[in-house]
Amino acid sequence: MKVRRKCKLLVEPPSSATGDIAFNLIVFFLVCASIQPDSGRLQEIPRSEENQEQKEEIENIEIALTGNLNAVSLNGDTVRITELESRLTKLLKNKTKPQDKIVIVKSKTDTPYHHWIDVTTEIEQCGGQITIQREEEQTIQVQ
Amino acid sequence: MKISRRPLAATVPSMAMGDIAFNLLIFFVILAKATDDSHLQWDPADTIDVTQAGAAKVSIVIDAESKYYLNGQQIGIAQLAPQIEQILGTTTGDDRRVLLKVHRDATANHFEPIIEAVSEAGGTIMHVLEEKRK
Repeated sequence: MKVRRKCKLLVEPPSSATGDIAFNLIVFFLVCASIQPDSGRLQEIPRSEENQEQKEEIENIEIALTGNLNAVSLNGDTVRITELESRLTKLLKNKTKPQDKIVIVKSKTDTPYHHWIDVTTEIEQCGGQITIQREEEQTIQVQ
Repeated sequence: MKISRRPLAATVPSMAMGDIAFNLLIFFVILAKATDDSHLQWDPADTIDVTQAGAAKVSIVIDAESKYYLNGQQIGIAQLAPQIEQILGTTTGDDRRVLLKVHRDATANHFEPIIEAVSEAGGTIMHVLEEKRK
């Protein structure tokens, strides 16, 4: 007895849909490319109350930033940005306790953010703990 | 003589269902991913070592005009600390992360109060930066 073979049909996607498929693929990859996750740097800054207590007990390293992007003031001495890392490493070398590693960063009002980031990155790389000290604003009423 | 009309069936071609579903999927992916502050204008500062910022409940932006935005809404500096505290609530660990997006040329009198406010609210600061090109 002869058994009839099942008729196999070749299913092809309609050629008219290839444009749609290509368009959808473009949209998909465009969306993937445009949604990039944020990257950055984590920073832990102690609360302001703690800083005041610590300031009374020990002498911390102080770095003052100004509008001058090539130099900073380290404990009162003007230091070039290129020399900051070596100077800081020397100062932090013998400090073992975390509270001793606090570096107070004072910034003039015109200090740009990118300069602040550059300096604080170097401090953290040297093992320092950043603390911000801001000038207190006082309102004096003249009678 | 009466000629009977042939009924026309207006159906959605089933071939298009996949495309429709795919487009809807992309639409919702964009909606879910796009943050509220994506419309704000700011240029990130660059640094040598960056890590993935991840997701955060709080995102603060200082735009090119030095205006403050909390999760896309403009805000004054005085309201910032209590608002952050309210959003963060009693969360712990990575949930207390605050994304700080500061325009690279913003000055200290604008960004330092923000850092102080986040610190006061007990948040962990994540500076959103670009990797420095060598």
